[in-house]
Amino acid sequence: MRIFDPHIHMTSRTTDDYEAMFDAGVRALVEPSFWLGQPRTSVASFTDYFDSLIGWERFRAAQFGIRHHCTIALNPKEANDPRCREVLDLLPRYLAKDGVVAVGEVGYDSMTPEEDEVFAGQLQLAVEHELPALVHTPHRDKLAGTHRTLDVVRESGLEPGRVLVDHLNEPTVAVVADSGCWMGFSIYPDTKMDEQRMVAILREYGTDRMIVNSAADWGRSDPLKTYKTGLAMLGAGFTESDVDKVLWRNPVEFYGQSDRLVLDELPGFAPSTETFAGNSVLRGGGA
Amino acid sequence: MTFHLGYGTNGFANHRLDDALRVIADLGYTSVALTLDHHHLDPYGDDVVSATDHVAVLLGRLGLRCVVETGARYLLDPTHKHHPTLVCDEPERRIDFLHRAVRIAAELDADCVSFWSGIRPSSVDPGTAWRRMRDGTAAVLDEAGALGVRLGLEPEPGMFVERLADALRLREELGAPDLLGITLDVGHCVAVEPEDAAACIRRAAGLLVNVQLDDMRTGVHEHLEFGEGELDLPATLAALTEVGYSGVAAVELPRHSHAAPDVATRAIAALRAALEPGPHDVEWVSDVDHPWLVDAEQRVRSDPAAIRTLFPAVGRKVGRAALRPESDPQGLVHGTVDDLARTRLLAVLAEVLDAPALAGEVAELYRYGDDAERRGVLRGLTTLPPDAVPAGLEIVRDALRANDIRLVAAAMGEFGARNLDDHAWRHGVLKCLFVGVPLAAVVELSRRTDGELLRMVADYADERRAAGRDVPADAERLLEVGA
Repeated sequence: MRIFDPHIHMTSRTTDDYEAMFDAGVRALVEPSFWLGQPRTSVASFTDYFDSLIGWERFRAAQFGIRHHCTIALNPKEANDPRCREVLDLLPRYLAKDGVVAVGEVGYDSMTPEEDEVFAGQLQLAVEHELPALVHTPHRDKLAGTHRTLDVVRESGLEPGRVLVDHLNEPTVAVVADSGCWMGFSIYPDTKMDEQRMVAILREYGTDRMIVNSAADWGRSDPLKTYKTGLAMLGAGFTESDVDKVLWRNPVEFYGQSDRLVLDELPGFAPSTETFAGNSVLRGGGA
Repeated sequence: MTFHLGYGTNGFANHRLDDALRVIADLGYTSVALTLDHHHLDPYGDDVVSATDHVAVLLGRLGLRCVVETGARYLLDPTHKHHPTLVCDEPERRIDFLHRAVRIAAELDADCVSFWSGIRPSSVDPGTAWRRMRDGTAAVLDEAGALGVRLGLEPEPGMFVERLADALRLREELGAPDLLGITLDVGHCVAVEPEDAAACIRRAAGLLVNVQLDDMRTGVHEHLEFGEGELDLPATLAALTEVGYSGVAAVELPRHSHAAPDVATRAIAALRAALEPGPHDVEWVSDVDHPWLVDAEQRVRSDPAAIRTLFPAVGRKVGRAALRPESDPQGLVHGTVDDLARTRLLAVLAEVLDAPALAGEVAELYRYGDDAERRGVLRGLTTLPPDAVPAGLEIVRDALRANDIRLVAAAMGEFGARNLDDHAWRHGVLKCLFVGVPLAAVVELSRRTDGELLRMVADYADERRAAGRDVPADAERLLEVGA
C-alpha cells in the first residue's frame, strides 16, 4: 500500500511516528499550517513556524524516506486576532516556495466578519499564486459553516476542482459532493470520522474526489489512520486499485495542481539504520 | 587538499638520494615516493640497516612522508629489465625483494610498499600467470602482515595486471585483505582505463594507498609533464579530495631525471595551479545554461527586486540534482544544480546593488528562504564585497546553529573558510563530524587545521571510544594527517 497523507501535522509528532508511517507505506505527505494549540501573540511566531515547515520539518521527514510538503496560510481561529493578522502581508513570500502546494488551512472557525475577510482574501492569494486551496470546515455549527464556505469559494472565482473541503462527515458530504470541490475526511480515533464510517461513505459516494487523511497533531490522533482506512476498505471488498486511488492517486492529483509536488524516491535512502549513521535527527538532535 | 604532494626519486636517478630528498623538500613537496635501487637505498647492500636508519632520520628532518616503490629496472637482473617478476617461471627473487622492501618500509614508517605484476611471458598461459600472481601476492602479504605494512598493487600498462578492474579482482580473490590496497597512476588511467582518472579514483576510493601523478595520452604509455597529455588535472585532484584521500600523491616522471630540478619545479607549480579553487568551479557554474536561468539573470539585472520571486522558483525551473551524485548523492560537498543557479543570480545581484543594499537583500533572501534557498545564499556569499562581509557572517553563524546537515555543509564553504574566526571555524568542523557532514565539504581544511582543532577532535574521538562507539573515519583521518 502506498500512502500519501494529505493532512498531517508532523511538527507535533515524533521520529517513531515517521518510522511507523514509512513502514506502513507512507512516502509523501502534506503538512498544513495551523494553530499551535495555544494562541500565537506575534507575527514572528508565524514566520518561525513557516520556516520550519519549509526547512527543518522537510529535512526531518527526508531522513525517514518521506517527501514532505506543506500549505501556508493564516488559520481561521487566529484570523480573529489583530496581533496575528499582519502575517497576511508576508504570505506571498512563503507562497512562492518549493514544496508549498496549497494555500491552507483557510476557512471558518466562529464565522466572524474578520474570518470572512481573511478567508476571501486568502482565496484570492490562491488565485494569484496559481495554487489550490485547503479549506477547513468548522467544528461548531458545521453544516451551516460548510454552506457558507461553499458560497465564499463560489464568489472567489477559484475553480471548485482546485478546492479541497476538509473534515467532512455524514451531514456535510452531500453538499460538497454537489459543489464539485474535493472532499476531505479526517479519520480520528473517536471524533470526526472513523474507518468504518468512511467505508460506508465511500460505498455511497464512490471514490472520485475522495481524500482521506489522519490529520494527526498534538491531540489524540493516530498517524496510521490512513493505512487503517486502507485495510478497512480492503476488508469491505474494495479493490487494491480503489485503495490506491483514495490513498495515493487522489491526493497526488489534487495537490499536483500546484506543479510543486516532488514524489521521486529520496536519494540514497534505504530504510536501514546503517544509512542514518551519524545523523543528528536519529541520534536525537543533540549536535 | 587532504593529501600530500610528493615526487618520485626515480625521477632523480642522477642525484644522490640525500640530495634528491633535499631538493624535493626544498621545492615544497611534503612527501616522496622512494624507489629502492642500486644507488638509492640498495636493499642488497651490506649497510642496508644503517642506510635505512639514515634515510629515516633524513625524511623526518625534512618533514617528508614516504611510500616505497619497487619498480627499479635492473636491480635484480643486470641484463633483463624488471626481471624476474611475480608471473615468470622463477618468481622467488622478486618475492624476496618485496620482503626486503616491506622490512625497509617498516623501518621508514612508510605508508606502503607499492608493487606490480610484471609482464606475462608468452610461454606462460593466463591461468598460470593469475595463479602465480595470487600466490606471490599472498606470500608478500605474509611478511607485510607480520610487520603491519600495507601493500599497494599497481595496475601497469602492458603488464599482466594492467587495469584497475584486474587489481580489484585479484584483491577480491585473496579475500580482500585489509593490508592490500591499490596504487593508482593517474596517467595510466588516461592511457588504458575505460574511464577517466577521476572516475578511477572514485572507484578505488577507500582502497587507495598510493597515487602517482603524471600526464599521458590515450593508448600511449609515456609519462609526460602536466599539460603535455590529456589528463584533466584539476578534476583528478578534486576527485582525490572528494574521496578523502590522505596519503602520498607523488609526481612520477622516471624519464626526466636529466633535468629533474627544473621538471619538479614546473610540476609543483602546475599542481598548485590545479588545486586553486575557481576556474574549475566556474566551469560547473557555466554548465547551468538553462534558458530560464539566463532569462532570470536578465530580469534581476534590470529589476533587482525580482530576485525575491525568482530565488524560490529556481529548483522547480532548473532542477535540484546533486552535481556529483556518484560520490556525493546529497550534494553536501559539491552542491546541487539549484545551488549553482542561485549562486549565479546572487552574482548578478552583487553587480547591480551597492554593498549596503546587497547586504540587506541577501539577509532577507536568507531570512525568508526555505532550506534550499538558504543553501544557495550560503554558497553564494563569496560574491559579497568586503563591506558586506559582516552581514554574510551573521548568515553563516545562523546556519551553523542549525541541525540541517546541508546548511552546515554549505556554511563551511569558501566564505566560511575565509571569514570565520578560529573558534567558530573549529566548532564548525566539529559540528560536521557530529552531524555527519563529510569533511571534504570543509573548504581549506588543511590550511586552517591547527593544534586546538586536533585537540578537540582527539577529545571527541576519546569520548566516542569511551562510549563504545565508532570514531568517524573523517575524524581519524584528520588526526592522522594532522599529527
